[in-house]
Amino acid sequence: MLVSLKSVGQYVDLNGLTPEQIADKLTFAGVEVEEISRLASGTNLVIGHILECVAHPNSDHLHVLKVDLGPKYGVTQIVCGAPNARAGLKVIVARVGAKLPQIEIKQGVIRGEESNGMCCSLLELGVDAKFLTDYQKAGIEELPEDAPVGEENVLGYLGLDDVVLCLNVLANRPDLLSIFNVAREIGAIFSRPVNLPTISTKKDFETKIKIGSKTKKCSQFSSKEIRNIVTKPSPKWMSEFLMAMGVRSINNIVDIGNYVMLMTGQPLHMYDADKLPKAELYAQDDYDGDFVALDEKTYKVIPGDIVICSDNKPMCLGGVMGSLACAVDENTKNIYIEAASFDGASIRHTSNRLGLVSESSQRFVKGTNHFQSEFVLDYAAQLINELCEAKENSNNVVYQSEEEKDQIIDSSVSKINGRLGTEFSKEQVFETLTRLNFKLTFKDENKFSALVPQYRLDITSDADLSEEVIRLNGYDNVKSILPCLDTKVGMLSSRQQRLKNIRSYLLNVGLDECLTYSLISKKEMHDFCLLNREENYVILNPLTDEHEVFRTHILSSLLNAASYNVARQNKNLALFETSNMISKSSRSEHLAIVLVGQALNQGLLCKENYTFFHMKGLVEGIFSTLGIEQSRFKFDRFIDSNHELHPGKTANIIFQNQVIGVMGELHPNQIEKYDLGKANAVVLEMNLEALLEAKVSETKMTPISRFPSVSRDLAFVLDANIQAGDVIRTIKTIGRGLVNNCEVFDVYQGTGIALGKKSMALSITYRKDDGTLTDREISDIEDKIKFELSRSYKAEIRS
Amino acid sequence: MENNNLLELKEKALQEIEAAQTSDALNAVRNTYLSKKSELSSLTSMIGTLPPEERKSFGQALTEVRVAITSAIEEKANSLKNKELEERLAKETIDISLPGHSYNLGGRNPFYVIKDEMIQIFLGMGFEVADGPEVETDLYNFELLNIPRDHPARDMQDTFYINENELLRTHTSPVQARTMEAKKGAPVRIICPGKTYRRDDDDATHSHQFAQIEGLVIDKGINIGHLKATLELFAKKMFGEKREIRLRSSYFPFTEPSVEVDITCANCGGKGCNMCKGTGYIEILGGGMVHPNVLKMNGYDPEEYSGFAFGIGIERVAILRYGIDDIRKFYQNDVRFLKQFKKMS
Repeated sequence: MLVSLKSVGQYVDLNGLTPEQIADKLTFAGVEVEEISRLASGTNLVIGHILECVAHPNSDHLHVLKVDLGPKYGVTQIVCGAPNARAGLKVIVARVGAKLPQIEIKQGVIRGEESNGMCCSLLELGVDAKFLTDYQKAGIEELPEDAPVGEENVLGYLGLDDVVLCLNVLANRPDLLSIFNVAREIGAIFSRPVNLPTISTKKDFETKIKIGSKTKKCSQFSSKEIRNIVTKPSPKWMSEFLMAMGVRSINNIVDIGNYVMLMTGQPLHMYDADKLPKAELYAQDDYDGDFVALDEKTYKVIPGDIVICSDNKPMCLGGVMGSLACAVDENTKNIYIEAASFDGASIRHTSNRLGLVSESSQRFVKGTNHFQSEFVLDYAAQLINELCEAKENSNNVVYQSEEEKDQIIDSSVSKINGRLGTEFSKEQVFETLTRLNFKLTFKDENKFSALVPQYRLDITSDADLSEEVIRLNGYDNVKSILPCLDTKVGMLSSRQQRLKNIRSYLLNVGLDECLTYSLISKKEMHDFCLLNREENYVILNPLTDEHEVFRTHILSSLLNAASYNVARQNKNLALFETSNMISKSSRSEHLAIVLVGQALNQGLLCKENYTFFHMKGLVEGIFSTLGIEQSRFKFDRFIDSNHELHPGKTANIIFQNQVIGVMGELHPNQIEKYDLGKANAVVLEMNLEALLEAKVSETKMTPISRFPSVSRDLAFVLDANIQAGDVIRTIKTIGRGLVNNCEVFDVYQGTGIALGKKSMALSITYRKDDGTLTDREISDIEDKIKFELSRSYKAEIRS
Repeated sequence: MENNNLLELKEKALQEIEAAQTSDALNAVRNTYLSKKSELSSLTSMIGTLPPEERKSFGQALTEVRVAITSAIEEKANSLKNKELEERLAKETIDISLPGHSYNLGGRNPFYVIKDEMIQIFLGMGFEVADGPEVETDLYNFELLNIPRDHPARDMQDTFYINENELLRTHTSPVQARTMEAKKGAPVRIICPGKTYRRDDDDATHSHQFAQIEGLVIDKGINIGHLKATLELFAKKMFGEKREIRLRSSYFPFTEPSVEVDITCANCGGKGCNMCKGTGYIEILGGGMVHPNVLKMNGYDPEEYSGFAFGIGIERVAILRYGIDDIRKFYQNDVRFLKQFKKMS
């Protein structure tokens, strides 16, 4: 809402207050001032009279002017390039030293001719181009012949000395979409009296118009008829005011409608009385059909829209736009003015649907004061009498579905202080609320009832009263005291802590933690959906198809983040993200990891390609971080039928007999698709729910054996497709109680080993808990192991 | 006579020991003087041939010489070993400017740095961390927060809908209603960090996805002074002890009174600069006293209980703390950006 301080100043004394002070206080009282702007600005201005205008000897478009600046500054020479500069013209002169919005005027010599100032256009004084004609924009401003030469208050003379505040009116204060109410607010804040106009219009005749409403969406409809108006341009003060408020002046009658709305907050509509099919106006919401509006466009009106009809023909789309059929034009003689109360929700639906959001529809949507319709009609009539030469006013006709009741709230000083944590006295509360036009009646020293001013639609409970008290007095009055509540151990839940531990672990081993959008495209949704495919949520009203569905996996987003980085030469990546996934059937916490390129262990000096085993190590690390033993999870080979992962380098992660994750090296086709260059990439998607909820036993110390262990190596050749894990499991089974550990230290395929075979070397650690092992015991168990490997795996023992 | 010979032998040996420059040379000296074939050994074997009265003194003299030589060799051996070790180590000198083996922490999206730190601050004040769904119903996101259908405040939060009834939460406030429902009238002290969604085009200052931390305290006798103190503590922990806050009146449908909270500008310390548009303050969060209607709708008697609530934008705090100029940076995950935020806090 734009507020002209000049117009507010007509109703409340602003003397001694700078616009900045007003803005500051308003902002603290909850009426945020977003901007303070001046219609025009400039120093060292004076009205001049061009005495002489000759062509510049060294230019084809410049003029050399002799300008009379009045008795104080005398006659001076100015070089001017405006095409309309001519002798006899009264002009705005910015003298040397003048500061204009864009430039500072200096004394100069232009192509050999001295120049002591500049003749200005309004554009150069900062006036918005939308208020100016092309002629005004092309040259210097031409002042009327009677402009006082030598006048230094040029902005005042032009009516451009106004300061405009741009208020951010929040949804609870629709009353502030009115200059009168802004004046009341400022008056309350600064404790200054407010004098709003009193209106007196005489009734010249009884109107025959019949009005009413056939819908609950119009609770009140008032009208007045005015005869014999003359349509013409508005006077200067009106067009200046509208300019300050950001509204273009059209003609006197349209301008009065806008003016009254801006002043009172009540939108008006004017009907050409002679164009109505019948002397009646009824609000209804069952019209279904086309509607030709003022803008000459045809709109489809559907049942539910508020339409004002005359003889069942639509004359106005209530609160939104009038019809062309009964529009006021230059030939209009007699009018009906409408001041109604429409249901905001309905107006909102209609105006949004038709794309017709206007100052008036916005006011209905936010809420209007239902008590002031007769005042508003009389106010408009008075202006029409004044500016449109109209002499004949009818009575007001008022339809009201039910009587509007005043709002009375019971409260007490102690309740207000209790809510605020303040110690305001009875007098302070009384004084503050009275300033805001509440009428207080005290029942005792504490309790009172407050009659709410009719324009304050937002005040309905004593919590609202407490806000009024504090916003006017300021939050500096609130004592800052930490609440004294029961002592509690502030800690995360086990689930929250585990998730944090997983994240900390991955950060600690050097992975970068990412954040990607939950809304992704359908295509991304389809890619890398490696775990259970659940039905995802689709957004009904997406902004773009890039963010259309709520994701049920992270991996495609994280791969896109990798792709974004590789495109920026960040080629070696270790990224992870944890995020909550929501599908139609479940909510679950997920983890995704993407490793791309190489682990730079010592910069480029020592680096290694990321492989399946890096990821496997991370997964094992996560389980270990949570205290889940190796024996409780396993990796199973998994063939990805979508060819997103390398067919031979992929595994399911199995925990508690469920597949909780899928990991693997990226299929070369996908590397290409995601533009990861020549890099290799390993990815993981894991549902963390089972891990976050898993039972984990308390750690208990295991005694460390007093007896020494013995390590022996064992090498053998076997079929290449036999998994080391199976071999080790066999060895551990055979050597239960004696084989303490068994690790692979070499796997080799190639020269010297038959095709389809591999050589594997293991280091086996033997130990007894109850004594030192003898060589004999070790040989015996080794023999058994060798025998079993030969038997089960056809292994050919090499050592 | 023998004694003179012995002395000569000793002197000669000591000189050779002294002269030896390598372990090998010293071993040769050791062989010459201490092996079974050495002069000293043959002299020792001669003891038996001496008259008995000379044996003792000659024997003693021999032993002295042997001890002297042996200890000189040992001493020399040690010094040669040290010298050789030093020489070897000197040759092993490395270029210490080469990179260290990487044991670095991963880069943390500053979003998480701030989120984790905020949670830590409120945990310290005895808050629990609550959680709520990002796909919400109209009931929790709006109705129970005093934003009925067609309330103009719904325009403030343009919403992504799934269907007529389900939507992506536009704020973390629905967790207020969910928590009150779960606590069934008992006191509440929670925060809820989480992602929220609004139908905004992404640009430097807008994001269709962003995150908030919601706070809610309900108990008997809670007033706005408690909110002010809690947020003051938060602001000082998050932005530094010198920061001050101020409360400005504002409007949210689910709080009454409602406030916007500003913090003194970190850039100018409150004097006014470009960053704070000359005001000396920067807006960081909104809050207020829980609206009596909200308490009532969620099963609390507003005559008995009162509460405060607040919502803090996580990205907003991170943007202010780190001077981040574009909210999209949080979601691009450029590792050059992420790796700037490694410091443990």
